[in-house]
Parts: sequence; C-alpha cells; structure tokens
Amino acid sequence: MPDAIEMRPIENYHVPAGCCDELLADDGTPLPHAVSLIEALQRLGPEALHAAGQRRDTIFMQQGITFEIAGSDGERRDRPFPLDLVPRVLTAAEWTTIKRGLAQRIRALNAFVDDVYHAHEIVRAGIVPWSLIVSRPSFARPVHGVRAPGGVYCHVSGCDLVRGGDGRWRVLEDNVRTPSGISYVLENRVAMTRLVPELFAGHRVRAVDGYPSLLLDALRAVAPAAEGHPTVVVWTPGPLNSAYFEHAFLARQMGVELVEASDLVVRDAVCYMRTTAGLQRVHTIYRRVDDDFIDPLEFRPDSLLGVPGLVRAYRAGTVAIANAIGTGVADDKAIYHYVPEMIRFYMSEEPILDNVPTYLLSDDLIRKEVLARLAELVVKPTSESGGKGVFIGPQASLAELEYQARLIEDQPNQFIAQELVHLSTAPTETGDGILAPRHVDLRPFAVFGDEIRIVPGGLTRVALRAGSMIVNSSQGGGSKDTWVLDDETQSELSPGTLPTHRPPRLPDVRYGGWHGQEQQQQQQQQQRQQSAGPGPGPVAAH
Amino acid sequence: MLARIAQELFWLGRDVTRAEHTARMLDGAFHADVAGVSGERGIALSWEGVVATIGAKPPVPGEEEPALPDPEPLGRGEVARLLTLDTDSPASVVSCVARARERGRTLRDVISTEMWEALNSFYLSLGRYDLDAAVRTGPYSVYQEVKERCALFWGLVDRTMLRDEGRAFLEAGDRIEEADMVLRMLRVTVPTGSLDDGYENEALGLLHAVGGFQAYRRAVRYPPTVGFVVRFLLFDGSYPSSVASSVESLRNALFAADAQPRSSPPVLRLGRLIADLELQRRAPDAGDALTETLKRVQDELELVDHDIDTRYFAIAALSAVHL
Repeated sequence: MPDAIEMRPIENYHVPAGCCDELLADDGTPLPHAVSLIEALQRLGPEALHAAGQRRDTIFMQQGITFEIAGSDGERRDRPFPLDLVPRVLTAAEWTTIKRGLAQRIRALNAFVDDVYHAHEIVRAGIVPWSLIVSRPSFARPVHGVRAPGGVYCHVSGCDLVRGGDGRWRVLEDNVRTPSGISYVLENRVAMTRLVPELFAGHRVRAVDGYPSLLLDALRAVAPAAEGHPTVVVWTPGPLNSAYFEHAFLARQMGVELVEASDLVVRDAVCYMRTTAGLQRVHTIYRRVDDDFIDPLEFRPDSLLGVPGLVRAYRAGTVAIANAIGTGVADDKAIYHYVPEMIRFYMSEEPILDNVPTYLLSDDLIRKEVLARLAELVVKPTSESGGKGVFIGPQASLAELEYQARLIEDQPNQFIAQELVHLSTAPTETGDGILAPRHVDLRPFAVFGDEIRIVPGGLTRVALRAGSMIVNSSQGGGSKDTWVLDDETQSELSPGTLPTHRPPRLPDVRYGGWHGQEQQQQQQQQQRQQSAGPGPGPVAAH
Repeated sequence: MLARIAQELFWLGRDVTRAEHTARMLDGAFHADVAGVSGERGIALSWEGVVATIGAKPPVPGEEEPALPDPEPLGRGEVARLLTLDTDSPASVVSCVARARERGRTLRDVISTEMWEALNSFYLSLGRYDLDAAVRTGPYSVYQEVKERCALFWGLVDRTMLRDEGRAFLEAGDRIEEADMVLRMLRVTVPTGSLDDGYENEALGLLHAVGGFQAYRRAVRYPPTVGFVVRFLLFDGSYPSSVASSVESLRNALFAADAQPRSSPPVLRLGRLIADLELQRRAPDAGDALTETLKRVQDELELVDHDIDTRYFAIAALSAVHL
C-alpha cells in the first residue's frame, strides 16, 4: 500500500458509553499517566505491533506457554496464551489504595475461616447465618477445630477487581482456594520486555519477579518446627490439569519438588515424600488440588488424586497445607455478600474496597424484586467458577429470561444476583495492529505468611470479543501485562541507573592470537583487498 | 601438536565462550533495564557495568592508563550496538564469532567437519540477520540464536572431536574464558563491603545474566541475596559455570594436554588456586573477604593465562616475530 495514509494504532477510538477507559479519556486524549505509553504506541505503528504479535505466538509455542481450548468441532488443541501487547497502567497512588484494601479484605476473610471452624463468633453476633455456612459445598467438617500454623489459612489469594463506570474499584469475586494466573503475570512481563522493549522507555515499572521468593518465604514461615530447613513441595493433580503449566512454573522458580499424590505418603500422622534416598519428611504442601480430592479417607472416597491420611497429619500439626483445608467457605459467592460486614466485625474498620451490590435470593421479598428486574441484573450460580453459568440480563433473550427465572424459583439458594458493572475498557490490539476498547478486570495476587504481601499489579484479563464482559480464558479471554508505575515516573528518564560506585579496574581483556594484534590487522586488510567475496565481518557479507 | 595449532584451538574455545557469555550478559542487562530490576543502591547490571565487564574499549598498547570512559552515560542502544554488531569493536559478539570462524578455517584439518560447519553457519546466520532492526525491537531473538549456536558447537565437540591434545586446549580456552567472564561481571556489579542481605533484585539480575537462576534455586535453600549468589557463582562445584568448576576443568584439561603435567607451572598454579578456593569457601564471611577473593582469583587467572602462553605457545610467537 504505497499511497495509503499512514495508519496509527489509535484511530477512531471510542470508549463505550457508561464505561471508563484505563488509558484514554472520553475524548480520546491519553490520561496523564499514559501519555508516554500512548506516544510510544503511536510511534511503533500498527505493522510493528502486528509483527510483534506474531513473534509472541512463535515464542509462546516454543516455550510451551499454551493452554488447551476446545475448538468448534469439540477437538482440544494447544493455543499460545493470548497476551495483548498493550499494557494496562496503574499509578502508584491507585495501587496503594488497592493494596491496602486487599490486605484488609484478606485479613477479614482469614479471620472468618478461623471463626467458622472454631468459635462461631460472627454467627453468634447474628451477622452470618450458620445454616448458610454449613450448607456451602466447600464447608469442610473434617477440619473443624483445627488451627492452622500461625493462624494463617489463606496463604495465597487472588481477588478479582473491576473498575465501574464511576471509576471506582470494586471487588467482584474472592478466590482463596487455588487462584491461578500468577505464572502468566511473570511470563507476560518477560515476554513484554523481549517483544516490545521500546514501550518501557521513560517508565519505571515495578518489578514482579519477586513473587516466587515471596511465596517460598511464606510457605517456609508457616511450616511446623523443623530441624534444619523445612521441606516445601508443590502438589499438582498431574500434567492433564489445565493449570499444570503454572504448577511446574512455580516449582521450578522456587526450586522445590513438584509432587503428585503417588509421591506422598503418610506414616503415623507424618507426611513424607518418596525419594531415591528413602522417605523424606515434608513440612509444607502448596497444594493445587481441591479439598474434595485431597484425602479419600475424609472427603471423596473415590478420589485417586488424594493422599490417604493427609488430613490426619494436618490435624496432628505435622504438616502445613496451603491454602488450608476448608478455606473455600470464605470465597463462596453467597458468603461474598457478607464480606464488608466481616471487615467491620473482625477489624472494626470500614471497607476500603466495596462489593458489587449483591442480592441473596433465599429471602422472598428480595427474590421478587430481583425477578422483576431480572433483565438488568447478572445472575451467578454460587458453586461454579470460571464464568460458567453466568447469566447477563441485558444480553439475554426473552426465552432465556424466562428459563433463568424458573431456575431461580426452583433453587433460590443456588444463585445470587448482582448489579451489572460496566467493566472499564483498555486499548487492545484486535489482530491488525489497530487498537479498540475491550473490557478488562484485574486479579492481584497476595501472599500471606508472616504478613500480607502483594505483587505490584497482577493479572489483567481482557475480553477479546467486542462488547463482551466475560474475561475468563476458558471463554475466549486474553491477558495484559499490568504496570504499576513508580512515583518519580517522569523525572527519571536516564537510560539505566548508574552505579554509584566506580567499577574496580579489571585486567585488560585479551583478544589475542599467535600473531600480535598489529599483524592480525595487516592480514585482515590484506584479505579485504584481495577478496571481493565474503569479508571478515558479517556486515560485509550481505 | 604444533604450538600454533594449539594456540588457535585455545583461542577458538575462548572466542566461542566469550560470544555466548556476552550474549547472556546483554540479555540479562536488557531485561533488567526494561523490567526495572536495577536498583538504586549501588549495584546494578547497568550498561556502564556491562561495558566495563567486557572491556569494550581495549587498551592502546603502550598507554599506561586506559582511556577514561565518556562522561555521558552509555545508553541501551549504543551499548547493544557496540557489543553485538560493531565489527570494529573486538568485544562485540559478531567480532567474536568472526574470529572463531577464521580460526575454524585455519583449523579445518584438526577439528571435525561438523564443527567447522557449525562455526561457519553461525557466522553466516548472523550476517543474514537484520541485526540493527533486531536490536532495536527485540534483541532477545539474536541472543537466543547466539546461545543456541554456541550450544550446538559444544555439542558437536562432544560428539565428533577426538579426545586428544587439541580437544584439551579447546576446552582449556572455553573454561578460562568462562571463569574470567563470570569473575569480571561479579567484580563490576558487586559492591564492596558487607554482603549480608538485601539487593535481592540485583542478585536476581546477576543470576539471569549468567543463566543460573534455576540452578541456584535448586542448589541453594536461601533467597537469592547478593552474598549467597556471589558465593554460589564463585564456589559451587555442582554448577558448571561457577568459577570453581571452571578452574577445576581448566586444570584437568591442561593436565591432559601437558606432556609433563607434574612440573607444569600453569597446572601447579591452578592446583594451588583450587585449594585456595576451597579454603575460602569454608572461611567465614568477614567484611570485604568476598570482594578480595574475587580480585585475587582473577589476578591468579591472569597469571595462569600468562603461564599457558609461556609454556605452550611462546615458541610459535617467537617465530612470528622473526618472520
């Protein structure tokens, strides 16, 4: 296209009505914290962006950063993990709020789990009904009365945050069982620095690669007393699990063993792993196996993925399990409604991050109101995850509305209703190097050992279809690198920080050969004159 | 074997390994620079540091002091070009590969055909690259290619080259270069004084720049603080790129190559160095002990290099002067 007008990645960009955008104002001008990023994108141009996208797919396929997706014909195939090359940017101030809000919320959730399996204070105070708690499928009777080491249950958590049309952050969902996605946060950052380093120019982006160290520290901190060093393992259901990549990634990055159920054994209420040198004591298990499958003696007897007797060892306090057994009761969608109350009850603080307004449908009055407004609301099944079974009122047909209403009438306890949040949008590459607004959410990852520590940013998930608000990767969502800027962003533009000390004098490097340097040069010159063919340097070769 | 051939083999090993380590270090520095890993507390894999490590400005013969570095700090673009593509800079990856290929041509009767082809296609593939564009957008792929080609070369050495004296010199060059590169980087990046704690990000950068992150994680139970990382890269005999491993292999290679190893100065000197490293490994950390060890080991290695020159190659150089 020689005579085509030069296109820029951001052209005719319209933020959808009722939403706010992460990088651009309504009139299409960049927000203050995104000015230099947008400039860099415009300089790069659509073609370079598209080319980088192709390099990304090749590299991801090579490195095996893929996930399986079922095609339209039902066949499962590997696809490169869809990373969008336009990062999402958070300012330092904004991040501080999120960080404090999350830490507060996780402390409250942790206190709630402890309470549920011990004193039931929140029930006696009349805030959360006991009948609701025990009817949760994730309520774990076998661990009643077991106190986890250090009183920490939710070692690893990832809450889903969204920004509504008013620009405020809200928590959409809690996840304190086995939240996944952190490996993509780290791999995304590495890929971004390799694929589009020029976007980073002029920014100081907080590093994320400390996460494995944080996690390992936390897992060691909660280990039962050990002579010498506690042994930590990552427990995976196996290579067929959709998050196996992440399990292997974390084990590799932490330098610990990745075990399957058959590697673990419990003898006399102590957990061991089978090694070439015999049984070796295990102190902390970072498990990525659901409660239900963890121990066939206590939970599902048909589980082949479990370790018989593990719960006994856990009760005896000889092994720490992260996350603790039974934490699922705290991230149940029906319990979610009570989290702000929990924060007030346990911490005597006002929640920093709000909930999305949520309605429990067991109350007759509320249910009636909800059914009347069904076309405006979102309905979620309480026991599903991954975006399965989510009903979005405004996008439903009349028949779907009626069907959903019948489902709710039949089993009101199985559903919750929420106000629709207009997820914020962010510029996203659409396949030809041109950017268009797509809806995003944010899942920051927190680690709770001695204290709560949160990796700057987190996983930004993006719905790759126009208008869609479902960001789950199993439903066609992608991800973005998430930048948290340091305060002095604009002031420090010097390339690379200079060390304050002068490097010591090193011995000279030798580039020797058997003939001295002078003679070598002579010979090279000779060659240059002699040969019209390939010269001594590759530059001359083409 | 001919002294000239031995020396060419020795330097072939050095050039290939220098290319690889330069690529690894640049890759690490790029990542640290872009991902904001470099810290403000005095140690960082800065671009100046990389230049200092590789000694990109070779000393002019006869000049006592090396030319002072430019007051203007070197940026990513300049350093990447200087150390990757610049055919006039003897330190660049391209120059290393070009030299290795020239040596390979000289040695065609000594090395296996497959080794020569690997060297030649390495050189040609770098010529095919639009290096300038690659360095601007994603230099990662260039460095990846360099690492892979180097691995291919050493794999072919393992598979196809006779385990004779020549092989021993090739390996000696490889190992002395590796030890030297790691030492240089440590000396430039590591601050003087106590290395007890902190600097975690910087230490991670160091590990990435050597390619030893996973090995560290599996071998050492402690979080990667500078003190532990330096000790790992210096002393850990189970890690192939550690200075201790390189020095030991270097001694073994020379022992195999030498007709009378028990009276050979470089072999004897290396024996002492190995014992000294072992002693230092067991010594308690105190103040500047580690940084001083780094300096002493490197000085020692320079003497070893000199010894090797004198014992094995000097005859050839003599004839060259008299030509």
